[in-house]
Amino acid sequence: MIYLDHHATTPVDARVLEAMLPFFTEKFGNAASKQHRFGWDANDAVERARKQVAALIGAGSKDIVFTSGATEANNLAIKGIARAVDARAAEGTESSEGKRNHIVTIATEHKAVLDPIARLQQQGWRVTVLPVNRDGLVDVNVVADAITERTALVSVMAANNEIGVLQPIKELAGAAHARGAWIHTDAVQAVGTVPFDVEELDVDLASITAHKVYGPKGAGALYVRRKRVAIAAEVDGGGHERGMRSGTLNVPGIVGFGRAAEIVRAERASEAKHLAVLRDRLLERLQAATDGMTVNGTMHARLPGNLNVSFDGVDGEALLVSLDDIAVSSGAACTQAEPSHVLMALGLSKDRALASLRFGIGRDTSVDEIDYAASKVAEVVARLRHLSPVG
Amino acid sequence: MKYSDEVLRRVREPQRAGSLSGDHVGTGEVGTLDEGTVVRIQVRADGGRIAEARFKVFGCSAAIASASLVAEWLEGAAMDEASGVTAERVVQKLELAPEREHVARMAVEAGLNAVRDVVNDRNH
Repeated sequence: MIYLDHHATTPVDARVLEAMLPFFTEKFGNAASKQHRFGWDANDAVERARKQVAALIGAGSKDIVFTSGATEANNLAIKGIARAVDARAAEGTESSEGKRNHIVTIATEHKAVLDPIARLQQQGWRVTVLPVNRDGLVDVNVVADAITERTALVSVMAANNEIGVLQPIKELAGAAHARGAWIHTDAVQAVGTVPFDVEELDVDLASITAHKVYGPKGAGALYVRRKRVAIAAEVDGGGHERGMRSGTLNVPGIVGFGRAAEIVRAERASEAKHLAVLRDRLLERLQAATDGMTVNGTMHARLPGNLNVSFDGVDGEALLVSLDDIAVSSGAACTQAEPSHVLMALGLSKDRALASLRFGIGRDTSVDEIDYAASKVAEVVARLRHLSPVG
Repeated sequence: MKYSDEVLRRVREPQRAGSLSGDHVGTGEVGTLDEGTVVRIQVRADGGRIAEARFKVFGCSAAIASASLVAEWLEGAAMDEASGVTAERVVQKLELAPEREHVARMAVEAGLNAVRDVVNDRNH
């Protein structure tokens, strides 16, 4: 079975696992235990990991809040901003008339951003969800026009999880700050394979997670530029993570996240080149072997390991089921007959959105695997088209 | 969507896929592209029996497997036995989930229409 679904998750790197193992056994302490060696060791390991994670994104380590993953980090950023604004209005430190109660985002965000924003909308916040163009990119001017003096937060992902396109985060941060709004970015897909520096991009909040960068599942982080932004906690009880996220820290997971971040920082540039070579080879082979194929999303600003294509005249579900020895993801996803909201936002027809494949190439993917995947996909597409009574 | 091994086998190595032409061939086609599923089944009659059955499908795995199973059951059957091919039997054999039962009904309808088509042809 060939694994080409690295946007969904990645395997834990052997070096990461090695770093984690002692913290399940002899170094099992609670990082919050201040009175003995077990706790000190755990706390030292967490703080080392905090520095490693911070270094990956160019942040200060005090601005890293560990969470259970990116969904929690996105919720903490979005609802944390909103609750802090609501609390200041309630205290009278910010007049309720002048209260910022507006959030701007884009249609191709992950559900882990769209759903918390929808929740705030139910609670009275105003929400603007902006379209993207056919390439999947948002127009900075459109975002700038949507931001008002009532906008608290702009949330736009750094790299899309389905089509891999890279949004102009630095320009969007400039547009947000020009109106006094903060900017959050879901950087989950970006940090593993493209440069991502919170100072260079001037973002206020950024969500990242370990399992997309060859770390373990269950460990993530929110970057919070504390000099500029205050967020309210979602989880109370114990005051961990400077009061922003209570709960006993997942020490082995955090240690693994730290080691994974360190490896990415050292190897990202060379790995990105390897991924781009394989991705371009996959695209060329598919184009040579198959007619009626469309690339979804721009190829000019894109994750190096991502390819997303649609096939005319093929049912997406039958395509996926027929690829019995290749693990890829489809626009049909797991929700039956509901096409991807990302591909629909690009203006694709429902048929094309359903008949799409997302390839996520990874660190250990080989040339042979790429060649096999290309020929297998082409063969299955030809077989399904031949099977069709139409056209 | 999880499928039974029976469905997976029929999708990955479809048997009786194709078209028939010539004399004593009846065709049944059900569904439209807009609906997302089109099933076509053709049968060739030889005396009172169905000598050959072939199918073509645009649609999901359940539709492909259903059409292939209907074609298999029709082939070799006596014309007046065709009504024994029912959606319930297809659903049971393929272990289809309730939300996929409609494609089994489409495949059976296409098969029975093909048989009717060849019977009408012979009566004219």
